[in-house]
Amino acid sequence: MKILVCIKQVPDLESRFKPDAAGVWFSDTDLAFRMNEYDEYAVEQAVRLREQLGDSAELTVLSIGPDRVVEAVKKALAMGCDRAVHVQDTAVHLKDPWQIASIIAAYAGDQGFDLIFTGMQSQDRGSAQVGVSLAEQLGVACATTLVGFEYADGAITAKRELEGGIKGVVKLRTPVLVTCQLGLNTPRYPTLPNIMKAKRKEITAIPVAELLKEEARTTATSFHHPAKKGSGLILEGDVGDLVEKVIGILKEKTSVLR
Amino acid sequence: MNFELSQDHKVLQSAVRDFVEKEIKPIAMKIDEDHMIPDTLVTKMSEMGLMGSYFPEEYGGAGLDMLSYAIVVEEVSKACGSSGVLISAHTSLANGPIYTFGTEEQKQKWLPNLNSGAKIGCFLLTEPNAGSDAGGTATMYKREGNEFVINGGKIFITNGGYLGTGILFASFDRSLKHKGISAFIVDLQSPGVTILKNENKMGIRGSYTTAFAFDNLRVPVENLLGKEGKGFNIAMDTLNGGRIGIASQALGIAEGAFERALAYSKERKQFDQAICEFQAIQFKLADMYARIETSKLMIYKAAWMKDNKMNYTMESAMCKMLASEAATYVTKEAMQIFGGYGFICDYEIERMYRDAKITEIYEGTNEVQRVVISKMLLA
Repeated sequence: MKILVCIKQVPDLESRFKPDAAGVWFSDTDLAFRMNEYDEYAVEQAVRLREQLGDSAELTVLSIGPDRVVEAVKKALAMGCDRAVHVQDTAVHLKDPWQIASIIAAYAGDQGFDLIFTGMQSQDRGSAQVGVSLAEQLGVACATTLVGFEYADGAITAKRELEGGIKGVVKLRTPVLVTCQLGLNTPRYPTLPNIMKAKRKEITAIPVAELLKEEARTTATSFHHPAKKGSGLILEGDVGDLVEKVIGILKEKTSVLR
Repeated sequence: MNFELSQDHKVLQSAVRDFVEKEIKPIAMKIDEDHMIPDTLVTKMSEMGLMGSYFPEEYGGAGLDMLSYAIVVEEVSKACGSSGVLISAHTSLANGPIYTFGTEEQKQKWLPNLNSGAKIGCFLLTEPNAGSDAGGTATMYKREGNEFVINGGKIFITNGGYLGTGILFASFDRSLKHKGISAFIVDLQSPGVTILKNENKMGIRGSYTTAFAFDNLRVPVENLLGKEGKGFNIAMDTLNGGRIGIASQALGIAEGAFERALAYSKERKQFDQAICEFQAIQFKLADMYARIETSKLMIYKAAWMKDNKMNYTMESAMCKMLASEAATYVTKEAMQIFGGYGFICDYEIERMYRDAKITEIYEGTNEVQRVVISKMLLA
């Protein structure tokens, strides 16, 4: 069985974000990066399946981005992926989810993956579109927002998180793509011996130009901090005065009372 | 020249940081209060591979390098100085000399259990009358057939309470001073080993500091480490490496206190503004950070020199001296920034303040470090 897990490197959300020079995304100067949280659940679940199936399975991890994303890739290798693909792209942040999915589809198209894991969404852009678009472009079934996963005899049983606390269970035959949600599992730590072993695993680098065929369908036009809101007004006094004051403010500053 | 960590080191740093954040930070205060690192944490640190970071995989180590080890001790010590010194004393002072001076048989026999954390290692050099002057060792040994028989006592032994594997120094002739000292690998669960006490201390209270008595402790001849009479050289070489570990522990303590003080200075308001708006606090932060970064550069350089098989004696002495003095300075200033709250145990700064002091004393006092540095300058 061939398994693929797709991961993204995102900035630490504790960071202070500033717009980049073009004003369409955040500047990555002085930011610390890590693996997207939802992708960690994807890697963990993929590694568990790899362990369940033993050496009859091969698990590939893929990431798109500049050289620094190799750090996230190496973490995935240390968690138990067998090999890696780094699609080299210094302008990945300017591509829309459809293009990102098309890049992965171009790589995965003729590889015959039986199972593809992705995170539910990224922590930075948060579109939640790459996984489902990839399934669409590859023409395989997909199940989103997984909080439970089992595999047996060529089929998966996926527990999905639906709205309002409801869960749904679906059964799908492979090939299939799943997107992983918080609560699916607790990702393991990459241990020091496994970090060492990961150094010997193969990382294939592919320039993005070899895989990118699609035009962007959406474009980010501006990236900025939300406008500062004025501070609230606190009124004090007895109830009669407060009512007078509120009516005065509503008349003066709004069209609620004329 | 490149001052960036490699991608592999960054992966390691972030992995250990995540581990520490989830597994150690939440219980650091309890470790101090209980005077005990829970066995469950020792097991988790062992499973994470923290107990044998820089030794080859063939001996059960992780196969990484000295810089990785420094990063491990630093990250762990940011949350808990006691756990930091557990790893440092174990790795540098027990695994280290066996790997450097042991025969192939000794490495095969002892290292896998140490690197996996199944046995916790310690270094038995200090005695009541032999501290900085290790030549004054009064623990004696003599050979009887295929065994050495050891009598005497040791004090201030970090990790001693685990009764794991010890590197024990003893003399066959006191009049020879340091030339009479030999080193032995000892299973501390052997008959003749008695714990006199585990000390109650000002800081690093979760770490064992043990006093031992040895009464006719019988050690097989194959446990002699290196040659007879070469124990002092083994001890000095071992402490060179150990200083990188203790410097990393001190650095971690300083960074832990700094991170908290920086965050607090932005939250705490007095006179209608955050206290970080006051130049008095800004200057403190600048001084603290500059000392932290200076220490870090020297530690990483010393580790890099060891990894590249260069003579790093002077750099290891300098990094230990700089980092330990940064730790006492930074924790003191952090407490001042926290004000009265810093003096309250709930805020952890007082623990870091207490934990920092020992780093100026053990693994060679800072006065001894200055002797080492100046001797090399004047040689």
